[in-house]
Amino acid sequence: MFSVEFIRVLKFALQSIFRNFRLSVVTVVIIILALFSISFLSVFNLLAQHVMDMVENKTNVYIDLTANATNEQAAILIEELKKLSAIQEAVFITPAETLEQFKERHQNDALMLESLEALEGNPFTGSILLSVYNIDDFPVILNELSKKDYAQYLEIEDREFTDSKLLIEKISEYSKKIQRFGLAISLLFLLISAMVVFNTIQVKILTHREEIGIMRLVGASNSFIRFPFLIEVLIYSFVAVIILMILVYPLLALSQPYIDNFLKEYSVSLVSLVNHNFFLLFGIQFLAAMVITIVSSLVAVRRYIKV
Amino acid sequence: MIKFQKVSKYYKPNVTALKDIDLHIESGEFVSIVGQSGTGKTTLVKLIIAEERPSIGQIVIGGWDITNINNREVPYLRRQIGVVFQDFKLLSKKTVFENIAFALQTCGAPKNKIHHIVPQVLKIVGLEEKGDRYPYQLSGGEQQRVVIARSLAHKPKLLVADEPTGNLDSINTNEIIDLLKKINKLGTTVVLVTHNRDVVNSLKKRVITIDQGQVIGDQSRGRYVL
Ligand SMILES: Nc1ncnc2c1ncn2[C@@H]1O[C@H](COP(=O)(O)OP(=O)(O)OP(=O)(O)O)[C@@H](O)[C@H]1O
Ligand SMILES: [Mg+2]
Repeated sequence: MFSVEFIRVLKFALQSIFRNFRLSVVTVVIIILALFSISFLSVFNLLAQHVMDMVENKTNVYIDLTANATNEQAAILIEELKKLSAIQEAVFITPAETLEQFKERHQNDALMLESLEALEGNPFTGSILLSVYNIDDFPVILNELSKKDYAQYLEIEDREFTDSKLLIEKISEYSKKIQRFGLAISLLFLLISAMVVFNTIQVKILTHREEIGIMRLVGASNSFIRFPFLIEVLIYSFVAVIILMILVYPLLALSQPYIDNFLKEYSVSLVSLVNHNFFLLFGIQFLAAMVITIVSSLVAVRRYIKV
Repeated sequence: MIKFQKVSKYYKPNVTALKDIDLHIESGEFVSIVGQSGTGKTTLVKLIIAEERPSIGQIVIGGWDITNINNREVPYLRRQIGVVFQDFKLLSKKTVFENIAFALQTCGAPKNKIHHIVPQVLKIVGLEEKGDRYPYQLSGGEQQRVVIARSLAHKPKLLVADEPTGNLDSINTNEIIDLLKKINKLGTTVVLVTHNRDVVNSLKKRVITIDQGQVIGDQSRGRYVL
């Protein structure tokens, strides 16, 4: 019994969709636009979060020793540094190791290697590789290091810390701006699509007013009369999300070069970012579409179908 | 079958459609309701099918007190009353068969029941051969017979017809009235709202006359008096 009724409701919903097909198409397009702005916002958030994580995790930094620092002094220094609670690890890198690493990094750069050969001996001093738990602790550690008497062995150059800090600040500033913009656009589109869905359902109800009148007269239950219009918008939501899924991937691929160019070494594959968060992302889309369409069609149904 | 007790209906505080109506219609009766335009006949019908609620008084239909019936229950009342209304004609894109089936489909009747009932009611109205036609392929009288057939789909104990002969010529009118009489003979209570003097006079059944929202005449073998 239930299934018979359900099939009929579904049939009426489909009839309603196809009876005014152009209107249905426009409605789906508007829903897609709204979802698209939400997608943009979500992907942007994921991206910003990803970059922040990467920058924050980059908590390794080299501190160069002065040329007159001996290995013993370096060892004592490292012991001292390890006592600081903010420091996770401190490792001594000898001048020879630094040279090796440099050669390795520039192995394809013949000119650089040549000029290195031209120098007599090892131009590098030793250094200490510091890793900290939190990038925010760098200034504190710096301060500590420059106060102590072993400051004479260190060539403190805090450019690298400030760079990271600046980058993080910039990212969070930009992302806040873009988030606000994206949120405003999303809300606007959601509002517009709610109004369009409301209007569509209103028109559909009016096109069906004869049927609805007869249904009421012969004793069709209220839910039977109303349900097709809810099913109809559910189908719109579903179709919109599917189309969005199909459109999103090519768009991600298209914007990848720009992202790479902009973020450089912090860049990430947008497709894998989206795939990692697939259910969250499209779940949100589907939920947003459902809420918007169901609510506005319920309002329309309540308003235009008298019971 | 129908019991009105001191029923009044105001549309707005200043529009009195019906006033102090006391009415008893027994099971199996054939009752005509007559009266001038705007005196409240349609309002009476709307109260019977709970399209409107009384402002004052009590209404009982087939033992069911529908005075304060809630919206959820209205469909179940409607499935027990056949209604012929001026406003609700046939769906032009559906055949005769489909029009009647529609009434059953939307109330959740299974397919085999629909295929059993539709030919049955078409037979009652004498259109069993014309189930495949579309409304525009029928005469006005035939269309109205299909509307009546549709109202019989739920096998109602009560049939309420508001001006079923409104736009019909006298031959078609007589056919419709004969059909209503036949339905009444089959055991259904019939309430007929009409303007038509000849119909009422030839029926020789109970006539209730309404004027300005009040019952001013109720005769068991009545004539059209206004
Ligand atoms: N929905 C409504 N709102 C306000 N007034 C109404 C409404 N429906 C009917 N009326 C008024 O109530 C009165 C009775 O109307 P009703 O339709 O019952 O008359 P009627 O006897 O059926 O007339 P007719 O013979 O022309 O069909 C009229 O004065 C009408 O204007
Ligand atoms: Mg009327």
